[in-house]
Amino acid sequence: MRRKKMLLVWGIFVSLVMIPGCAPFVENNTIEDIAPVTFWSISKGEKGKIKMSTLVPPLVNEPKSLLTLDVDLLKQGGKDFNLRYYRELKVGQLRLFLIHEELAKQGIFQLINTLLTDYDVSQRMYLVIVKGNFDEYINRQAKKQENLDYYLYRMLKHYERKKQGEMTIVNLHEYKNKLFSPFSDPVLPVFTVAKDNFTYEGTAFFSNDKLIETVTSTEDQIFQLLDNDHYLKFFPIPKLDVVIGRLRSRVNVDLDKNLSLVTINVKLNGRIEEYQGNKNILNGNELMQLQKEIETELEMKTTDLIKKMQELKVDPLQIGTHTLSPFSKPISEKVWLAAWGKMKIKVNYQLYFEALQNTKNNY
Amino acid sequence: MFWKKGKSIANDSSDAQQPVQRKISLDSLKQVLDNMDDVEIIERTTLNDQKVVLIYLKTLIDQERLNELIIEPVIQCPHAMIYESIATPKVLKIQSLEEAQKLLLTGAVLLNDCIQEQWLVIPLPNELSRGIQTSETETILYGAKDSFTEQLEPNITLIRRRLPITELKTEKYKVGSLSETTVVLMYIDGLTNPEYISIARKKISEINFDLFFDSSQVAAFMEEHHHSIFPQFQQTDRPDVCAYSLGLGKLTILVENTPFVLIAPITFFHLFQSPEDYINRWPVASFLRVIRYFSFFLSVTLIPFYVALTTHHYQMIPLQILFVLVESRSKLPFTPFWEALVMLTILEIIKEASLRMPTKSSQTLGVIGGIVIGQAAVQAGFASKVLIVLVCISTISSFLVPNYLMTKANTLIQFGFLLLSSFFGVFGIAMGAIAILAHLNGLTSLKQPYFSPIAPFYWKDWIDLFIRGPLINMKSRPDHLHPLQKWRYKRRM
Repeated sequence: MRRKKMLLVWGIFVSLVMIPGCAPFVENNTIEDIAPVTFWSISKGEKGKIKMSTLVPPLVNEPKSLLTLDVDLLKQGGKDFNLRYYRELKVGQLRLFLIHEELAKQGIFQLINTLLTDYDVSQRMYLVIVKGNFDEYINRQAKKQENLDYYLYRMLKHYERKKQGEMTIVNLHEYKNKLFSPFSDPVLPVFTVAKDNFTYEGTAFFSNDKLIETVTSTEDQIFQLLDNDHYLKFFPIPKLDVVIGRLRSRVNVDLDKNLSLVTINVKLNGRIEEYQGNKNILNGNELMQLQKEIETELEMKTTDLIKKMQELKVDPLQIGTHTLSPFSKPISEKVWLAAWGKMKIKVNYQLYFEALQNTKNNY
Repeated sequence: MFWKKGKSIANDSSDAQQPVQRKISLDSLKQVLDNMDDVEIIERTTLNDQKVVLIYLKTLIDQERLNELIIEPVIQCPHAMIYESIATPKVLKIQSLEEAQKLLLTGAVLLNDCIQEQWLVIPLPNELSRGIQTSETETILYGAKDSFTEQLEPNITLIRRRLPITELKTEKYKVGSLSETTVVLMYIDGLTNPEYISIARKKISEINFDLFFDSSQVAAFMEEHHHSIFPQFQQTDRPDVCAYSLGLGKLTILVENTPFVLIAPITFFHLFQSPEDYINRWPVASFLRVIRYFSFFLSVTLIPFYVALTTHHYQMIPLQILFVLVESRSKLPFTPFWEALVMLTILEIIKEASLRMPTKSSQTLGVIGGIVIGQAAVQAGFASKVLIVLVCISTISSFLVPNYLMTKANTLIQFGFLLLSSFFGVFGIAMGAIAILAHLNGLTSLKQPYFSPIAPFYWKDWIDLFIRGPLINMKSRPDHLHPLQKWRYKRRM
């Protein structure tokens, strides 16, 4: 009886071990024996190779140095890094994956697949497109600023949060979802490296896995309103000498049945943060006039942006998802993109301003 | 679950037989009481020229009252009826030597009336006891301050004062062939489920052992799972806790010579309840109770989690904390497991040492243990700063559990989890938690499920489980106790 009980207990124990697929041979992950890297930067190398870089030691307060390799495969790079450094470099804490613009234009499908199939790599890792020589930048800055890699990650994490409304932040999981979905195309943030600056430039549009266009300044901010966060802290419109702030948008997309017209209605709520034009905005009529001018300007810019998307045959706004309905067969991606290219665009903006405070009228 | 159920020790058939009763005589008594220095055998003559012999143990009787109640009245007795002259109503006539022996050892005086040829027994025990003091094991800031003593009678008095009803029944038993310890079973007739009473009676009467000095020893013979680390009887020295438990439909077992009373049947969750819960405002009491549960979880899993994360799952550690951990562990000679094991063992040694030492010395020990060892271990590079902080948090957390026996169980669980976490990481902790939960689910207290009201599920009892609901809403007694009177208020007929 006792033997049976022991057998049962061991049976349960072994089953519990087997169910989650626990390996009988565990890797050494003791934190003082390993070096968990925080970022990989990849760009085009020589002779069709990939140039990979990372910073070591990743966490300990020791003088840092940049490891750079020319490799054929991503994992090969990971392995060769270990041979160059006295601690094993582990990718379980990989937070940033920086891809050079040139490489992104060629397509990053295989790279993404490699990252996705790695158990250790977190799906919350940020993907970033870089213009310029990032390796040089990090090499210079690492000497001046401790833990620069960590602060870059913190910056992206900060803007990833809802209602920050400044930049496009995309992690591996989000990129993968848009990449493998038939009615959407992925986007990634673009950062430019110039001397000692690492500056957000805009949003890169991808056709499948290839970077085809980068939208910047006003277009990028309109994209933030339409798709990303539906919020902008400040929206400067230099043409009209105005800055709108605390801008919240509600977007309604209406697609007609024969896929010939898409109507995008955007309701905006915000307040005038700064105005340096000639209108007296304390006067109701003139304020209304300014409001109309802003709406017209936004409609025009948005129409241009969407037309650009149509020309490029990309759909980062996922308008194609509006073709889906519960009781009909979904159309193919090919049919959708063909229709999307010819579709008429109608954009309506409705702008609501908060009452102006602390002005002469209030006193 | 994994442990074999212990069998209660059955009475030997030889023990069960009643010994032959021998007739009492002075010679036989002297023979029995031979080599006992504290035995006094005195002879006195009454006014009636009648010889009386008094036999007693001077260490057990109240000698002042002996003169006052027995010797003086007997000497002054003018007639042959000595029996009537004794100034106390508790006079018994006995005939057997065994009876005389027993009564002598309980603090009685034997009186031999030579003319009447009878042996009288007058109970005259000396009330050697300490006064009623405040509880040291279950201190509360607000509420009753009295606690039980080693004497049975004052203890029963303290409970009876709180429950002045005739339904509060007391049943006396003797346990221990050498210690002859009195055990009192208390319950409220018509409220406590009779099944519990009969189980308790059976268990107490089946106890067969020589010495009992503490209620935990009685509990050890009464519980169904001898090898479990979890206490199946609540031990308390607080009369208010006893009275409240009786009022809910539990029973209490008082043991002579110990201030700790046993309460049963209990559940795992009763060990997290404090008398203060019913004194504080209910939201405050609920918050404190939740904190108590959380701190129990923390004390058991915090260090194992540290070991699991730093040994197996570096990916799970937030980057900011990883910076700190790598920094603090970079120069250590030990792996996280050995580091944690050594620190926890040292801490247990300090804790145990501080319990055994006088108060003033234990304060010094606290300083040495806390500052010197902690600081020195970090500076010498034996332990990381992070671990020292975690050890402090987990130790302080373990003290939040009101039941002392439970805090001791905490330590063992923690060591078990530590071992599992070093081998299997978080998965090991999860396995350990499953095993503990399965074990708790299989435990019983007086044959009642130990993990109720969760398993079996009694949803109404959740009002006083993780939170302490408003008293006005606690209209019924806990269902899992199956009391005979469900409602706690008087209902219109």
